[in-house]
Amino acid sequence: MKALPRMSLRSRQFLNFTVTCTSVILCILILPTRMPGMELLGISPNWLLIWVVAWSIKRKRTVWGAASMGLVLGFLQDAMTAPDPTHAVSLVVVAVLTVVLLKTWSLPTDLVERDPIPIALIVFGMAMVAETVMGLQFLAMGDRTLAEIWSDHQRVTLCSAILSSLWAPVIYFPLNRLWEMTRTLEKS
Amino acid sequence: MLKNTFRRWWDLRLQIALLGLAVTAAWGVRQTQGTAMFEAYNWVTRPFHANGSGQEQLILARTQELQAQVSELEIQNQKLKELLGYVSAKKTKGVVAPIIGRSADHWWQQVTLGRGSNDGIKTDFTVMGPGGLVGRVVSVTPNTSLVLLISDPTSQLGVGITRTRHMGFMRGKGKNQAVMEFFDNVPNVKPGDVVSTSSFSQLFPAGLSVGKVVSVDLNKTPAPEAVIEFSAPMNSLEWAVVYPHNKQAEQKAYEAQTSAPERGVGKK
Repeated sequence: MKALPRMSLRSRQFLNFTVTCTSVILCILILPTRMPGMELLGISPNWLLIWVVAWSIKRKRTVWGAASMGLVLGFLQDAMTAPDPTHAVSLVVVAVLTVVLLKTWSLPTDLVERDPIPIALIVFGMAMVAETVMGLQFLAMGDRTLAEIWSDHQRVTLCSAILSSLWAPVIYFPLNRLWEMTRTLEKS
Repeated sequence: MLKNTFRRWWDLRLQIALLGLAVTAAWGVRQTQGTAMFEAYNWVTRPFHANGSGQEQLILARTQELQAQVSELEIQNQKLKELLGYVSAKKTKGVVAPIIGRSADHWWQQVTLGRGSNDGIKTDFTVMGPGGLVGRVVSVTPNTSLVLLISDPTSQLGVGITRTRHMGFMRGKGKNQAVMEFFDNVPNVKPGDVVSTSSFSQLFPAGLSVGKVVSVDLNKTPAPEAVIEFSAPMNSLEWAVVYPHNKQAEQKAYEAQTSAPERGVGKK
């Protein structure tokens, strides 16, 4: 990390870009695995959701920037499972909500960025929102009954929210540190 | 001043272009059904794949499956002797594949197999696990294939009770269970009966063992229901065998069967 200030602007940007892309690819590749300790009732953390929340929390992120990243990751998750209904909707909703939440409530960014508890809480809430949006999409498609979706929804939402919020710091802190450092260096 | 404005404008354009590029690339990945992703996943997880041939587990599974099939075949054989235009379906050799991943989200019941089109697997092939039917291949890359499990609520298949030949269709209920709806109003069924795929199912070959009846609700409207537990352990699968399934050939056989004058197969 000490080498970062000594790099030229171009190579710093390149490093930032590479690490960001690699983290997305890692998140996607870890999706189909079920590792011990990362699984509850056959459900693993929603890694892409954690990534989107981390991306949106970063200061000065615009709604559009957050939403388009949600769209990208949603499409990628579609590719890994089934494209109907699309996961992009839930991730875009999560990205926009996170930005709006931070802006309207004007949460002290220092608190949000240093402390794992607010991150865990935000991810918990957003996981619930994302799974609810998915459930509504399945309902709108009409090939599952309401009772089925409801029972699935309870199980999926709770497990996903608990696991995602517990694992959120693993993704959030390294990424946030990188983005924060490149930003302060660019400013100075 | 002017230089600064120009630079900011240029930065904004660059940002928009990058975001647009990212969205387009992601759309491309989605349209190709994540071929590159699955190939990369297969490559990364290769050291962790279950090694060995899995023969023992498969043989054990095969015995269990055969036991369940004996009663099915006995009755079927009896009926078939009466049929005229019976087309015999020959059993082809399957591809043994390790299960390298599970569903990448929480709403679909899927697994990823570590064999793909390089080993001759195609879409719609039937996947069997230890104990019976597991699912159907929905997409294939050169070295992986994505399987929709029969426990997924979107996979419906025609099934029948082996003992009494009562037919119905089954919907997955997630995890290890499914619900079977009967075509008959008063089916002769009791807990413990073996359930197998029927010739009504277009997506799967007939006569594969699916599971056992756990409970029956005859008063359910519009049709009586039974809860089925799969004989294959969906949550602890490590290996699966993929068998070719030709939809058109199946269809022809089915049509030949239904057009045969004496249709003995018992649908009342």
